[in-house]
Amino acid sequence: MKEYQLGEFEEIVLLTVAILHEDAYGVSIKQEIVTRLNRNVSVSALQTALRRLEKKGYLKSNFGEATAIRGGKRKRYFKVTKAGKSALDYTKETRMNLWSAIPNVTYEYARA
Amino acid sequence: MNTQEPKKKPSPPSWSTRFLAWFLKEDYYEDVQGDLEEEFQLIAKDGRIVRAKNWYSWQIIRLFKPSMIKKVKPQDSIEKETSMYKNYLKIGLRNLWKYKSSTVINVIGLSTGLAAFVLIALFVKDEFSYDKHHENAEQIYRVTVKNYTRDGDLSRHWAFASAGHATRLKDDYSEITHSVRFFPWAFPDIINGDKKFPGEPVIFAGEDVFDIFSFNFIEGSPETALEDVFSLVLTESSAIKIFGNDWRDQNIVGATVELSARGSTVPFKVTAVMEDMPDQQHFHFDYLAPIRFLENFFSENAMNNVGGNYNWMTFIRVSPGSDIPALEQSANDEFWDKYIGTFQSGAEAKDFYDFKFQPLLDIHLKSKLEGEYETNGSIDQVYIFSIVGILLLLVACVNYMNLATSHYSRRMKEVGVRKVIGAFKSSLIRQFLTESTLITIISFPLCVFLIIWALPYLNHFMEKQLVFNPIMEIELLLPLLGILIGVGVAAGLYPAIFLSRINLVQALKGEQAMNASKWNFRSWLVTFQYIVTIGLIFSIAVIESQMQFIRNSNPGYQRDQVVSLQLQGSFNLETFKNELLAHPDILKASYSSRIPTGRLMDSWGARYFQGDSAIQTSFRLPIVSVDKDFLDTYEIELLAGEQFRDGMETELVRDSTGDGFITTPGYYTINSTAAKAFGFDNPNDIIGTKIAYGPTEGRVVGVMDDINFESMHTEIVPMLIVYRNNYRRLSIKIRSENIRGTLDFIENTYAKFDSESPATYNFVDELFNNQYQKEERLSTMIKVFAVIAILIGCLGLIGMVGFVIETKIKEIGVRKVLGASTQSIWMLVSNRFLLLVGIAFLIALPISYYLMSGWLDEFVYRTNIGVFLIMLPVLLAIALTLIAISYQTIKATRVNPVECLKDE
Repeated sequence: MKEYQLGEFEEIVLLTVAILHEDAYGVSIKQEIVTRLNRNVSVSALQTALRRLEKKGYLKSNFGEATAIRGGKRKRYFKVTKAGKSALDYTKETRMNLWSAIPNVTYEYARA
Repeated sequence: MNTQEPKKKPSPPSWSTRFLAWFLKEDYYEDVQGDLEEEFQLIAKDGRIVRAKNWYSWQIIRLFKPSMIKKVKPQDSIEKETSMYKNYLKIGLRNLWKYKSSTVINVIGLSTGLAAFVLIALFVKDEFSYDKHHENAEQIYRVTVKNYTRDGDLSRHWAFASAGHATRLKDDYSEITHSVRFFPWAFPDIINGDKKFPGEPVIFAGEDVFDIFSFNFIEGSPETALEDVFSLVLTESSAIKIFGNDWRDQNIVGATVELSARGSTVPFKVTAVMEDMPDQQHFHFDYLAPIRFLENFFSENAMNNVGGNYNWMTFIRVSPGSDIPALEQSANDEFWDKYIGTFQSGAEAKDFYDFKFQPLLDIHLKSKLEGEYETNGSIDQVYIFSIVGILLLLVACVNYMNLATSHYSRRMKEVGVRKVIGAFKSSLIRQFLTESTLITIISFPLCVFLIIWALPYLNHFMEKQLVFNPIMEIELLLPLLGILIGVGVAAGLYPAIFLSRINLVQALKGEQAMNASKWNFRSWLVTFQYIVTIGLIFSIAVIESQMQFIRNSNPGYQRDQVVSLQLQGSFNLETFKNELLAHPDILKASYSSRIPTGRLMDSWGARYFQGDSAIQTSFRLPIVSVDKDFLDTYEIELLAGEQFRDGMETELVRDSTGDGFITTPGYYTINSTAAKAFGFDNPNDIIGTKIAYGPTEGRVVGVMDDINFESMHTEIVPMLIVYRNNYRRLSIKIRSENIRGTLDFIENTYAKFDSESPATYNFVDELFNNQYQKEERLSTMIKVFAVIAILIGCLGLIGMVGFVIETKIKEIGVRKVLGASTQSIWMLVSNRFLLLVGIAFLIALPISYYLMSGWLDEFVYRTNIGVFLIMLPVLLAIALTLIAISYQTIKATRVNPVECLKDE
């Protein structure tokens, strides 16, 4: 099913938004990825992924509160939509299918 | 920055934030900037402010990518823009119509400037395209030979090589993959059935010819064209000549024609027809035949000769990437030793000869060797024309800028109103650029018309076949459009920026925003025009004065009413001459091997005797064979000794030299330069001295005055004339009356003696002038283009003066009211321009003086650049300026002061 295609980074972002549940906005998503995956992420890459996911309909967003540290700018909170959830399920399922299809022999070759 | 209070929150770099706000999509900005700022503060909290700032800016730079950037133009804005352009066009056209005179001046200036530029560009492009069509052009070199004197000075550099060079060079050097020699043998008659074509230039060529040069074949193929010894390759025009216009239907490949020369007639088979050789090639052949055929006529020695007889045009093709200087070096080191070794005199051949491998692509523009196959172009000429062309274009642009700005005062209120309504500076710039492009677009058809009109004249004059067809040739059209837009922008840019900068209040008040007497950019533009004008006038004056110098100079011989007749067949020369001299209008006649205005080619080594010891001379001493009337016919003065007498041609010199034997008559007349070179300052002293010249020995009987036998480009060299039958030309001095009748008589008499070929003759004064044809052409072309530049400059000047007066109209009014005379007002205006002329003079003169003395250095005998030549351009520039000023001033002072003072 083509419509559920997710890029590797998109998948990570989508999962992170799901993890953070009600508290997913730019900075928190970034920090979550940094701490969990030990992976440095630029604002540009993150924003691009978020906007693309939103366009695909896997995320929806709305403005939240403004804080002083943000110079009075509001946060944009992201939420996983139903379609997003289906996409994650689909991805996971296809991965599991692939995993289970690997015969044991392969590992022996790999060891050799 | 560091002195900030510690408690104050650090803030991210503001310029980065502004940049972000500028490019980021509006609905992303708030939260993204917020995120960035939040994270910035998180990093900065640890005291790493610099790092935080860098991080912040870097993140913003990385956000600058297509998915994040705002849509550039929303739809409605484009509509707004186009409607504005419609408005600019409308206003522009109205303005052009309103100020018709300046529009006309602008259009004429730009179109002639651009047309002249394009014509020059066509010429330059054509000159640079020579020989480029050959597929392997980069790898083709011409074998040329340098000759040295005994002292090691270069005596001659020949464009051709000897017969045996081509094959030997190819055999000896692996880098040389192909070689070819060409030889124009005998100019045979070509016979096709009952039609006879006398004296056709058949060129015999080595078999590699089609591997080296790329010619396009219409019929036949390069592989088989010269396979058979008796094969003949035609070009389209020679096919038409021999077989008629319908040659294509006659299936002429395989047809037989006969070549007839020197008493033998040989059938040749036509094997191929090529397209005519392109104009942009430095040689042109109409017939090609295999060189092996010549082996029937020449001895093996002659076909393999390696020294002298430089009549074989020779080319080599080298493998790509060959090191030509190294190849040349090793050829010079080995070749002469291997094939000639030492001469009988014991001298080593390699000291006397050198090869020079000349790149094919350099031949047309850079080669001026002895015996070039066709007249080549000159790189200097191309440079001069390029400079003039660029100057013309610049002058036209500058002119436009001047005129456009000078009309600014009329447009100032318009600009003011536009600004009040809310025009941006950028939209004003767009408006003026639109207007100036408008002018170039109007000039364009006129320019094309001028080019098409002038091109035939240029072609005729430069002997070119340049083509201009902008519709057919997209490669010419595109640069032309580029130039057009470039000129539009360049010409419009200055007034556009200048006008858009006007102070709003001043503009609306009607004040002069710019003081006309202030030194500003426009003054530089005017000065530039003066510089070009003065420089060009100076150049014309120098060229003209040199040409005048040549025309009036005395080359030492009388060249008027002398006809030089070529001798072709063999017949009794004495009878022929006597029959001619019987005519009352023929005064004198003399046979010779060469005539003045020709070249001094043949020369031997000379020795002269002091007592019994022969002293070898080191200078080159060319020889001309003449009969006894030569000095009389050309009215060359004899400084010492006697004329040749009857009998001297056969009389043997009686001295015995002990070892040598004398078989040839030997009475010599030398010129005074030769006498000096032999060491005799008084010509009388050398009379009677014994001289050995080549294989003969003889005595000097006369010393003649120096004459410019060759052109004035070269110095007068020592020369020697001898009374000996080796004649190729007859010089006939005729009366100036009834020239036509005399020429008819000569033609008829010649026909009686030589029924084969028609009489071919030239006037010596024409030959004399032809020596300077290149300079004549150059001077005429530069004159034409310079006059165009000067005229454009004048148009600009008139406009400028008009502008100055317009800005000063109130001042003039007040002065007149207070009682100033027309004269003093005239002074007021002209002072400023005279200052500009002065500055231009100081800049233009050194540059053009330097360039023109370089040009004069090409002549050995040359005019001096005198005070008059230097002053002339300035005086002319001043005169032109004053005329323009007077005209405008008189117009201005005639106006009633009330008219110009009433509104304010």
